[in-house]
Amino acid sequence: MPHNAKSTASVGLNVAVLVSIGRHPLTARTRRADQDARAVEMALTLEGASVSLLHAGQQEHEHEEAIRGYLGMGIDTVSLIQQQSQADVVPALANALRTGAPQLVLTGTRAETGEASGVLPYLLAEALGWPIITGLAAVEKVEQGMATVLQALPRGKRRRLRIRLPAIATVDSSAPAARQSAFGPAKRGAFEHLDATSEIDEALAAWQVQPARKRPKRLKIVKSSSARDRFKAAAAKADGGSGQTLSDVTPEQGAEAIFKLLKEEGVLR
Amino acid sequence: MSELVRRDPRKEWIARNRLHPQHLEVLAELGGGAVANEWMGPNGVMRRNPHAVGFIGPNGIRRIDRSGAQQAAQAPGRSVEAKDARRHVAIDTPAFMIAVVPDMAGGRLSSHDRDLLGLARQLADADPAQPGAVLAIVFGEHKETTFGEAGIDRLMHLEGERFSGYLPELSVATLQGVDREMAPRYWLLPDSNVGGELGRRLAARLGERPAAQVWQVEADAESATGWRCTARGAAGRNDISRTLPRIVLALAECADPVSETRHAAEPIKLSNGLPDVLGRIEDMGEVAVDPASVSLAEAEFILSAGNGVKDWDSYHYAADVLGATKGASRVAVDDGYMPRDRQVGATGTWVSARVYVAVGISGAIQHLQGIQSCDKVVAINLDEGCDMVKRADLAVIGDASAVLAALVKRVEQYRFEQQENRDAA
Amino acid sequence: MLDTLLPILLFSALALAAIGAVRRVRLWRQGRPSSVPVIKGLMQVPRRYLVDLHHVVERDKYISHTHVATAGGFVLAALLAIVVHGFGLNSTILAWVLLAATISMFIGSLLVAKRRSPPPSRLSKGPWMRLPKSLMAFSIGMFVVTLPTAGILPEGILQSGVGWIAAFVLAAIIVWGLGEMFFGMTWGGPMKHAFAGALHLAFHRRPERFSDGTGGEHRSTGLKALALDDDSAKLGVEKPADFTWNQLLGFDACVQCGRCEAMCPAFAAGQPLNPKKLIQDMVVGMAGGSDAHYYGSPYPGKPVGEHAGTPHGPIVNRAGGALVDAETLWSCTTCRACVEECPMMIEHVDAIVDMRRFLTLEHGNTPNKGAEVLDNLIATDNPGGFDPDSRLHWAADLNLPLMADKREADVLLWLGDGVFDMRNQRTLRAFISVLRAANVDFAVLGTEERDSGDVARRLGDEATFQSLAKRNIRTLSHYRFSRIVTCDPHSFHVLKNEYGELGTPEAPADYHVQHHSTYINELVVAGKLTFKAWKGGSVTYHDPCYLGRYNGEYEAPRDVLRALGIEVKEMVRSGYRSRCCGGGGGAPITDIPGKQRIPDMRMEDVRETGADLVAVGCPQCTAMLEGVVEPRADIKDIAELVADALIIKMPDEKATQSKAAPTVSRTAEEVMP
Repeated sequence: MPHNAKSTASVGLNVAVLVSIGRHPLTARTRRADQDARAVEMALTLEGASVSLLHAGQQEHEHEEAIRGYLGMGIDTVSLIQQQSQADVVPALANALRTGAPQLVLTGTRAETGEASGVLPYLLAEALGWPIITGLAAVEKVEQGMATVLQALPRGKRRRLRIRLPAIATVDSSAPAARQSAFGPAKRGAFEHLDATSEIDEALAAWQVQPARKRPKRLKIVKSSSARDRFKAAAAKADGGSGQTLSDVTPEQGAEAIFKLLKEEGVLR
Repeated sequence: MSELVRRDPRKEWIARNRLHPQHLEVLAELGGGAVANEWMGPNGVMRRNPHAVGFIGPNGIRRIDRSGAQQAAQAPGRSVEAKDARRHVAIDTPAFMIAVVPDMAGGRLSSHDRDLLGLARQLADADPAQPGAVLAIVFGEHKETTFGEAGIDRLMHLEGERFSGYLPELSVATLQGVDREMAPRYWLLPDSNVGGELGRRLAARLGERPAAQVWQVEADAESATGWRCTARGAAGRNDISRTLPRIVLALAECADPVSETRHAAEPIKLSNGLPDVLGRIEDMGEVAVDPASVSLAEAEFILSAGNGVKDWDSYHYAADVLGATKGASRVAVDDGYMPRDRQVGATGTWVSARVYVAVGISGAIQHLQGIQSCDKVVAINLDEGCDMVKRADLAVIGDASAVLAALVKRVEQYRFEQQENRDAA
Repeated sequence: MLDTLLPILLFSALALAAIGAVRRVRLWRQGRPSSVPVIKGLMQVPRRYLVDLHHVVERDKYISHTHVATAGGFVLAALLAIVVHGFGLNSTILAWVLLAATISMFIGSLLVAKRRSPPPSRLSKGPWMRLPKSLMAFSIGMFVVTLPTAGILPEGILQSGVGWIAAFVLAAIIVWGLGEMFFGMTWGGPMKHAFAGALHLAFHRRPERFSDGTGGEHRSTGLKALALDDDSAKLGVEKPADFTWNQLLGFDACVQCGRCEAMCPAFAAGQPLNPKKLIQDMVVGMAGGSDAHYYGSPYPGKPVGEHAGTPHGPIVNRAGGALVDAETLWSCTTCRACVEECPMMIEHVDAIVDMRRFLTLEHGNTPNKGAEVLDNLIATDNPGGFDPDSRLHWAADLNLPLMADKREADVLLWLGDGVFDMRNQRTLRAFISVLRAANVDFAVLGTEERDSGDVARRLGDEATFQSLAKRNIRTLSHYRFSRIVTCDPHSFHVLKNEYGELGTPEAPADYHVQHHSTYINELVVAGKLTFKAWKGGSVTYHDPCYLGRYNGEYEAPRDVLRALGIEVKEMVRSGYRSRCCGGGGGAPITDIPGKQRIPDMRMEDVRETGADLVAVGCPQCTAMLEGVVEPRADIKDIAELVADALIIKMPDEKATQSKAAPTVSRTAEEVMP
C-alpha cells in the first residue's frame, strides 16, 4: 500500500501511545488490544521518533500479561499508572501527558473492555486543549510544529490533513496491522510503575452490564394501506434456498442479471 | 392526485364473484394488473384459478410468464399511491427539542440517519400532549428532498463556503452554539465514522457523558430521564443498560424509520450567528486511492478470478470499471497471475463481502469455506455442475470474458446515464 | 634417503594434523555447552559407523562399496604406514598387508573418480574434484614405497641413479597424499568429514538414533524442548555460536554428497533452500568468511558469494545479506527427507527449527500468515481462529461420547484441528463409522481438546507450543484411556514423541499413541471389520512424512489397503523416500514462493503410477494434494476407503443372517487372491 510508506521527517518526535487491555472477541482472553497495537505499530514506523507507552489500570497478573504483548513488539518499557478498578482514568492520563509533554499521542479508537465508548481520547484532548483527529493512516511529515497526516476514510480512501502539534490521533482497524509480538522481548520488557490518585467513576455503579444479547433482525416492514399488499408481503416465500442459474443466455442477458444484483446490493458507485 | 381511496362496490362485488363474466377484467383492474390467481380457500387449502394466470399479449393471445417478472414489475404502482396517505404533522410550539445531526452520506439521508430520526420521533412524540420537535442540523451541500418525510420538524442547514470539507472544530463549535441557543433535550448522532466522531467531540465539549453504540431505547418510568437505553460495550461483548443520557450515539436500526407521518422540516437559523473558530486541523483534500488495493478482508465487493479466466487484461479492466476489489483462487495465485495477498479461501483470506463475484472459479471446498460469510455470491462459469454454481445466488453459465465484457459495457452505460441525470439535475 | 624422509614426512603430517585438530575442536567449542558421555561415545564410534551409518550409506550400493574399499583401505594403510614406515618396523607380512590396503584404496579411488566423471549436480565440485587424485596419490605413493619393504623390489633401489629421480617424484606424490589425507583432514579439506564425522558419531546430540545391539526401533525425531524460564537467555539460535558445540561438530562432518539436496522437496520446487548449502553456510559461519568457496548447487535463485558471516554475527539479518536469508529457513517443510538420507546423520531439521525459534521468539518475524496463525493459536487454541466452543459443531448429529462424561474409555480419539475443515470432517466421520462398526469403546475430548502445538513448534514458537502442550497434558491427565488414536500424523507425532518431555510427575505424558491406520489394521487383524470387495480403480499410497519418516509406520496403511483388496501401485518415491506433500512445518503458512508447488510435483509422481486414486493418511496431505488442479487422481483418506468398504453387521442377528451372511462369504472369496 502506497500510504504506509515510512515517514522520514519525524526525527526527534516524541510520541506517546496509550495502550489498553484487549480481549479476544471469541474467547475473551486478554491480549494486546488490536487498535492500540496498530497505534504502537504506527509509532514504531515513525523513523527517528522516540516512543513511550502509557497504560492506566490495575496491576494484575492477567493484565500484565496482556500489556507484555506490546512489549513484544520491541518496546523496552511501559509506564503503568496504577488505578483502582472503578477509576476514571482520564484525569490520571491527562496529568501524565501534561508531564510527559509528547508532541503526538496515539491510541486506538475504542477499547475492547469496559464501557468502550471511545470518548477517552476526546476527553483527553479537551482536558489538554489539544486538537484530535481520528482514523490516522500515516504520518507524512512533521515540521515546524505541524504534522501532515493521512486520515483513513471508509473503503480505503484517504484524506490529507495538516494538524498543529501537540495533538492526539486515534487509529482504527484501517491502519496497518500490528507487527508480531515476540515472546522473548515481551518476557524481558520492564514496567515503570507510576502512582496516581484514582478518581472513582461514580456513574458506573448505576449501570447494568450483561453479556451482549443478539440484536433482533429487522423485519421487512411493508406499510401499505392495502391489506392485500401487506398479506402478500408477509406470506411471500423467504428468498434464499437454491440460487438462480442462468444457462443458455447471451452474455448480455447474463450481464444484465448480474448488473441488477449489483445495483440492488448497492455496491456500484 | 387525490389521496382518497375511491371504492366501487359493484366492481368489488364482481371481483368476488368468480362466475361473473367480467370477473377477470375487474380483478385485473383492481389488482393493478397482478391478478390474484392463488388464494387461501375457506378450508385452508390453497386454491388456484388457472384462468387468471398470465396476461393478454399485444396480439390478443394469452401469455404466461413464469419468471414472476410480470407481477413484480407492476407492484410499485400501488405503493406510490399508498405513500400519499401519510398523515401531515406540524408542531408549531414544541415543548422541547430533540437535535439530530445526520451523516448525510453522499448528500442524502442514509438509512442510518432515518433510523435515528425514527428514534428522535419516538422521544419527541412520547407524550402526545406535549410534543417535542425534531431538529436536524445539516452541514454543507445536500441533495435530499424528503426531510419532512423522514420526520424532521425543524431543519437547520449550515451551508456556504465555510462548511465544505472536513471541519470538525467548526462543526462542534456550531453545535455548541445550537446547544446554547436551543438547549435540546437530547442530542442524537449516528455512531458511524462521521457522526460518531462529531458526537464524541460534542460530548467532550459539553462535558456530557454520552451513551455510545446504543441499539435500543425504551421508556422507563424509573429512570431519571424517563428513558433507558441499551448500549454495546467492551467491543460488542457486553450490553450496558443505563439511563438515557443527553447525548446519544446510536447504531443503525436503533429504531424504525418514520413512515406514517410527514413533517414540516421548517428551516431555521442560528440567531446568534456562527462562531469563529481558530482551526488547528486543516483539510488538504482527499487523496486518490486505488480501490483494488483495499484489503480483501475489508472489501465489500470482490471480483475474484480463478482458473477459468483466460483473458487477464479484461478481468483487470472489469475490476477497475466495477470498482471491485480483486480476489483470486489459489490456482490463479499459484500460476502467478495474481499476488498471494489476493488469495481467497481457507488457506488465503476469509472474506465477508456483500457481493462476491467468482469468475471462472469451480469452487474447491477450501475456497467455499473462505466465502462462507459473503452475502451474495455470483458465479460466472462454463461448467454448470461445479460447486461454485451450486453455492451461488446467481450463476451465469457462459464464457467468462464475454460475460465480463458485457457487464463492463452495461455498467459503463449505467454510469453514463447517471452522469447525464446528474448534469440534468 | 626415503627411509629417513618418510618418517619425517609422516610425523610432521601427523603433527600438523594434530595442530589442525586442536584448532578445529576450538571452532566447535565456540558453541553452547552440551553434555555428552565422552568416553562412552568414543567407544561407540566403530559400532555406530559400521552398523548405523553404513546402513544409510548402503542404500546406494555403488558408493557403499566405494567407501568400504577407499576408507577401509585408507585407515589400514595409514595405520600400517605409521608402523612400517614411521617406526621402521621391518615386517614383510605387515608390508604385504599394507600393499593390499593401498591396492584396495586405489581401486576405491578409481571408483570415486568414475563417480565424478562427470559429477552429478548434487555433488560439490571445487576441491572435491581433486579428491580421487589425492586418494590415488596416497595409495600409489604408499604402494611403491612399500614395495622394497615387502621384498618385491630390492632394498636400496631408490638410492641409485635413476632411482633418485624416482625417489624424488615419489616423495612429492607422498607429500601430496599425506597433505590431503592427514593435514587436510583437520585443516578443512574434503577429508575433514572423516575426522569430524567420527567425532560427530561419538558425540551425536541424539544418541537414541543409534542401535545398541538389543534390536528394536532406533528413532529419535521429536524436537527438543527449549527452556523458557530463564529470563536472561536468548531463545533459539541467532548466530553460529548459539548452536551447541556438537551441533557445530555435526555441520562440520558434512561430506557434501548432496543426497539431502536430491531429496529436498523445497529445493526441487525451486524454493530458496538447499539443505547441503545450509549446512555448509553454518560451517562458513562457524569459521567466519563468505560462501564464495562453496562449489555445490546454490539455494535456487540465490547466487553464491553474496552471503557471509562470523561465529558471533547474526545468521539472519532483517534486511538480508547475512549468512542466510530468512526465507531459506522458512522454505523447509520439516519433512526430514534430508535427515533420513544423510549418511553423516546430520540433523538439518533441528538446526532449522533452532534458527526459526530465534526469528519467531526474539525477532517476532514469522513471515506471511505465520504471525496471524500464532496469534490465533494463542487466543483460540486453533490455527484458524475459530471459536473453540464450536469444535464439535460438525459432529452435532454424531452423538460422540465425551470424555468429560465417560471419564474412561479404551480409545481416546484425538480429532485434531481438522474439525474446523469441511474436507477433514469427512475423514473423521468415516473413521468414526469404522470405530462404531468395530464396536470400539471410544470417546473424544470435545471442546477440551486444543491444537497439539505442532504448527506452533515448527514455526519456532516454542512458548505457544509448550503452553498448548501443557494444557493438553493437564486435560489428558484427568481421564483414563489405554491409547490415543488420531487421524492426524502431526498430532500423532507430537503426542507420541514431543509431549513426554513436558510431562510432570503428577501428569506424566507418555501415552500409547496410534495413527488411525495402525489402529484400523489392528482391528482388521482382530477380525472386527468385514469389507466388501474393492471395485475401484488402481490405487497408490502417499506416505505422510510425520507417519513414515518420523515414526516408521510404513506397513500398517499398506496392510489395511491390502485387506481392502487393493493392490498398491507404489510410487518411485515411497516409504522412507516418500516426497513431502508440502504441507508440513508450517510451509503453507509461511508460503515461500518457488518455481513450482510441492504438491504439484507429488501429484506428478502419482500420475506416473497411473493410479486413479491416492490413499492418504493425513489431513495436510489431503488438503495439499486436493489443491492440485484437475484432472488428477482422486484423494481419499484410508479411513474413508475403509468406511466405504465396510459391511455393517446389524445387531439384529436374524436380519443379517439372511442378507449379510452370503455377502460376507462372497467378499471373502474375492478379497483372497
